[in-house]
Amino acid sequence: MNPDLDEIQAIFFEECAEGLAAAEQGLSAMAAGDVSANTIAGVFRAVHSIKGGSGAFGHAALLAFSHRFENVLDEVRAGAIAPTPEVTRTMLAAFDVLADHVAAAQGHSATPDDAKASSELQLILDGKGTAPAVPADDVPAAPAAPAADEMGFVPIPAVIDDLDPFGFEPVAIELEDLDPAAGWTIRFRPSRAAMANGAEPFLVIRELEELGATVEAVDYDALPGLRDLDPEEAYFEYRLAAPGTVEESTIVECFDFVAPDSVIEIARVIDEVAPVAIEELPSAVVPGAPEPILAAVPAKAKADTPEVRGEAPAQTIRVDLTKLDLLLNLVGELVIRGSILADRLSPADQERVELPELSRLTRDVQDTVMSLRAQPIRQAFSRVPRMLRDLAAETHKQVTLVTVGEHTEVDKGVIEKIGDPLTHMIRNAVDHGIESPAERVAAGKAAEGTIRLSAEQEGARIFVRVSDDGRGIDRERVYAKAVEKNIIAPDALLTDEEIDQLICAPGFSTAETVSNISGRGVGMDVVRSNVEALGGRIEISSVPGQGTSFTMALPLTLAILDGMILRCAGQRFVLPLANVVEAVRPDPGQVKPMSPTTEVIEIRGAYLPVRRLSDLFGLAANDRRSPEESLVIIVDSEAGNVGLMVDTIEDRREVVVKSLDENFRPIRGLGGATVLGDGSIALILDVDALLATSHHSFTAKGVAA
Amino acid sequence: MTNPVQMIADAERKIVTFSLGGQLFGIDMTGLIEIREWEEPTPLPSVPQFIKGVTNLRGTVVPVIGLAERLGWPPSELHARSCILVVGIGGKQAGFLVDQVADIIPINNSDIQPAPSVEIEEPGVIVGLVRVSGRNRRAGDVDESGPMVLLLDLEALHVHRPLDLAA
Repeated sequence: MNPDLDEIQAIFFEECAEGLAAAEQGLSAMAAGDVSANTIAGVFRAVHSIKGGSGAFGHAALLAFSHRFENVLDEVRAGAIAPTPEVTRTMLAAFDVLADHVAAAQGHSATPDDAKASSELQLILDGKGTAPAVPADDVPAAPAAPAADEMGFVPIPAVIDDLDPFGFEPVAIELEDLDPAAGWTIRFRPSRAAMANGAEPFLVIRELEELGATVEAVDYDALPGLRDLDPEEAYFEYRLAAPGTVEESTIVECFDFVAPDSVIEIARVIDEVAPVAIEELPSAVVPGAPEPILAAVPAKAKADTPEVRGEAPAQTIRVDLTKLDLLLNLVGELVIRGSILADRLSPADQERVELPELSRLTRDVQDTVMSLRAQPIRQAFSRVPRMLRDLAAETHKQVTLVTVGEHTEVDKGVIEKIGDPLTHMIRNAVDHGIESPAERVAAGKAAEGTIRLSAEQEGARIFVRVSDDGRGIDRERVYAKAVEKNIIAPDALLTDEEIDQLICAPGFSTAETVSNISGRGVGMDVVRSNVEALGGRIEISSVPGQGTSFTMALPLTLAILDGMILRCAGQRFVLPLANVVEAVRPDPGQVKPMSPTTEVIEIRGAYLPVRRLSDLFGLAANDRRSPEESLVIIVDSEAGNVGLMVDTIEDRREVVVKSLDENFRPIRGLGGATVLGDGSIALILDVDALLATSHHSFTAKGVAA
Repeated sequence: MTNPVQMIADAERKIVTFSLGGQLFGIDMTGLIEIREWEEPTPLPSVPQFIKGVTNLRGTVVPVIGLAERLGWPPSELHARSCILVVGIGGKQAGFLVDQVADIIPINNSDIQPAPSVEIEEPGVIVGLVRVSGRNRRAGDVDESGPMVLLLDLEALHVHRPLDLAA
């Protein structure tokens, strides 16, 4: 075994995974009706690179299949095969087989039987001659245009005629998915009277340079002869390139004080790598592909390539995640050390040693490191379409998937951990939610069910929702089953919401027979514990006959939290600021007992339940403070607004979340712990879990039997 | 059940001995990360009594376990020589409160006698008994509990295992 080769092969499989994700995304888009040249080319590129690697590593079966797949895609790309829904469907099926092939090459599974998919692909290829030629209005753009687009170039006429010595002209183009990492080009021609107005152009340029911009060219064409030169006038036009990471608004701000008659143009550089395009050209030469297109493209490519190269497209490197985590930990330590310093130094000393500046820098570093770990949630969503197709085939149900907000960025740790819960939720939706086509039609619905998968960010939380338009939760059946399984007492009085929550009870399953999809009675139970371990919670809502929706509310990041430091019974706790509504120091009589163990607080005429943190945690039972000596913090929780009674509030600060899981195990009611400035540990409260279970005591119960 | 201690017949290894409820116990040196002074840990809610809380070990949150209670003895009384043995167990760390650390002693595996199969709740926690010869003991270390050391396998205590399986 050659370790080097293994390593390279590991990279290849990583790329395969990325390629598969890209291909699936493209094919799904095609299935949804987006048959633009860009989309098709994206799929082609992905399959093409899988083919290339598989040949190099000797995965014959994968090579053979991906080659055939690629041939079909190539014809589609060239416009010789129309991307009809049938063709797309076949390609989606072929994609699944391709994914299986990749898994087989990795040794994860047996080589799949690709005979059917293979012959279907061949059928499309063979049929291409007889297939109707693509009508012009089917593909809106002329064949040459999409080809150029796919290479990522926009034809720029008269580049040579341009007076710019670098043969470069910023082009303002509207592309729907501009890569945010693509660089900026800025054209800046100060007004003639700039200096007279006190708007020294160099100040603007220096400001831009501080953002990382570089002056690419200066057009001094307007410079008159020495005799006519007025040294107080501005004649030059500057062209700058700025990194794509800079916000457009930041660039615009630099020009805030520039005279209004200056010329300012800010545009994104198109981010497509020219070399890739060139590499691919030979493979594009296939019989049947219209020659003129190919002839046209290289010419353009050659003309434009030097400029595009010069703009340095967004570069990426692969970094071992453990290194990133290490960095994050170190930054966390830095933050803690910083707050220790702040604790120990007087405000004057803090200023003297420039501690505020250091803290600001530290926070910037921390934010940047956090953003390194943020990934679009698409990564977690990407395996859903395939799963859904398999499930639909298995259950003979018809399901379409709608995904929304897949670009929402979440901490990588969160993405990794929601995979399993998501799988369970989707399975449940298909197995229990969506009805068979016949049932649906009988109920007056479309035969095809819809599962909506969405992600959205709201404050410091991200909401991932799986909703179906199926039959909804059959509450009677759930209730009966819960009684039968001894989960609830036979005479329990439950609200609809409480019945819905029973789905998440351990050992609950309503499936009559244990199928291999769901119904082992572990699904939703596991979902709930996984989500809670992440510091999140599950919400269920269901309308009989109309569908069910499961929502995972997850923290955006697992590492930093804006919190309030509380003191209660001599111990410090962190309350996430996101939960805090207001803090009240009760007047005498404002907190009233309802029963020996429950209290309410009157806030502006409304009564809210009050929970003492010391009671919830079983702290200092013999040292009960009167409400007047305490603070009541109104917190927003799943259970509505609740007053949390604590001794006092000490501070408000960002804390680095340390999971209890790392060296111990998660504890319900706690979101983790943090190290405070003095080196001591404060526990972070998970308000929802804490209050949701508050009718049970949280004190030590000993080892569960 | 095979005794892991006996797998390698005569290799010499080091154990850390400590007293707990008047008994002398020992653990293998290899898992030991550090010995620190007793410092009141931050108590945790909804954990068994023997879990004293969590403490900050160079930026890491580490649970502290009252070893005496965990083994079913009366809780250790805190005094000036109480200390915490920080041990790595299966990739996680945990601190164990002991009454007093006694010594670090080299022993031979062949010296270890398997624990007699008396009725104990948790088999595997006490992996064996070893008689410590006098020359290994420090001169001033007067010791009433006898030279017999109970060798513990801290991993068998499963301190990291979640308890809410039956919840």
